[in-house]
Amino acid sequence: MVYSKLRLGKIGKYIAMSLMMLLLFSGQVLAAEVDSTMGMTPEVFFAVFLVITIVIGIVAVLGGVGGGVVFTPLMMGFTPIDSYIIRATGLFVAMAGALVAARPFLRRGLANVRLLFFAAVPYALFAVIGALLAGYVQETMGEVGEYYIKLSLGVLVIGIALLILFGGKRVEYPEVKNVDSFSERMGLAMAYWEESLGRVVDYKVTKAPIGILLFCGVGLISGMFGLGAGWAMVPVFNLVMLAPLKVSAACSKVLIGIGDTAAIWPYIMGGGIFPLFAVPCMIGLIIGTIIGAKIMLRVKAGFIRYLIIAIMFGSGIKLIQTGLSGLGYL
Amino acid sequence: MEEKPKPPISGIIYGEAAYWIVLAGMVIAIAGSVIYLSGTGYVGKQCILNEMWEGSDVSTIWEECAGKEVPHGHWYINRLSYGDGIAMAGIALGCLAAVVGMWGAFVGMIREKGGIYVAFSLIVAIILTLSAAGIIQLKH
Repeated sequence: MVYSKLRLGKIGKYIAMSLMMLLLFSGQVLAAEVDSTMGMTPEVFFAVFLVITIVIGIVAVLGGVGGGVVFTPLMMGFTPIDSYIIRATGLFVAMAGALVAARPFLRRGLANVRLLFFAAVPYALFAVIGALLAGYVQETMGEVGEYYIKLSLGVLVIGIALLILFGGKRVEYPEVKNVDSFSERMGLAMAYWEESLGRVVDYKVTKAPIGILLFCGVGLISGMFGLGAGWAMVPVFNLVMLAPLKVSAACSKVLIGIGDTAAIWPYIMGGGIFPLFAVPCMIGLIIGTIIGAKIMLRVKAGFIRYLIIAIMFGSGIKLIQTGLSGLGYL
Repeated sequence: MEEKPKPPISGIIYGEAAYWIVLAGMVIAIAGSVIYLSGTGYVGKQCILNEMWEGSDVSTIWEECAGKEVPHGHWYINRLSYGDGIAMAGIALGCLAAVVGMWGAFVGMIREKGGIYVAFSLIVAIILTLSAAGIIQLKH
């Protein structure tokens, strides 16, 4: 059993490494064929992106991350599509998925509405600022801005991959020893019914001031780069503010829907959403997420984590390479 | 046996409104896309594909494929006779889901006498509304 697990882990690493090489290579191929649409009609394009995003959705769920965080870097690294369009679409698909997923968390009281609205103010505000900043860079810096965006996203994506790899263990029920006076006054403590324990879990939340600052940063990154931000929000809720893991994941999912809605509109007004690209990606990621969630119940998919990390490293390296080449450093 | 805590009404209102509106938006967007792919649209589909795949920026795509500058507004409202106009309206409806949901949550918070959280939900609802109305945007 242990041996087979080890083997599976090793196989996962090999698959991940091979995929990374393949991604880097395919990027070169795509770049070489940028001049044509490779014979694709709009209908074929729609179908191809539908299938690609279904696969992204499945892999993302099995790897324990949101589809948006895989979609944006992958598309920006390995397709010639303008980054503004990809970021707008990335935000849209992350938002749509999060809005669909939010309902059960709120009905069951798993998402703490006080914590949500508390975090939503800095997150939504800075997500809008990030989206406006993205538009400003696009309008004023042109191609140079595009390369700076790709370079920064490349560094960020590698950072996220490292966070997933070495980010430490998340805590199911963190122990809150001291609640600072501000968090206490905000009354963020709540309770929810934990089905697996068959009892009510009462929990406290602390370090709210630090949480505000971190949500400003997360919102800015999310709006600027068109990423869903569950990768950052869950650790902020769980490891900094010490909310239970399930509550953190639920709050993060609901919050993505709110923050990305704030950030998506400047992109829509900037003409960055085209239904030909946005609709298949939205359907694909949602279908992929549903299929992925069903597969997850049946298989142990630990090795998929390595696949996600490989995809993110591959995309990050490709983005950095494109950014540096465009800026004349390579 | 312990009693299950009641989930706050503000959260339920937000969740229900957002869920059903985004779902309606998706259905409209899909229907619009089918019409768009089986006919012509306001913005030429083959042209968009060619320009996107050449890495053209948004301004170029709008100029080349629609013969207009970037609309900086809700262009689809007057273009609902086209498939892409309908699809875009569906996308926009989906993007309105959280805006409507947040106003609902604000009302729910008032009913719950949520104190400072009434103000927080109002601030977020206003941010979302200003963003959706196009008041917060970049124009050159």
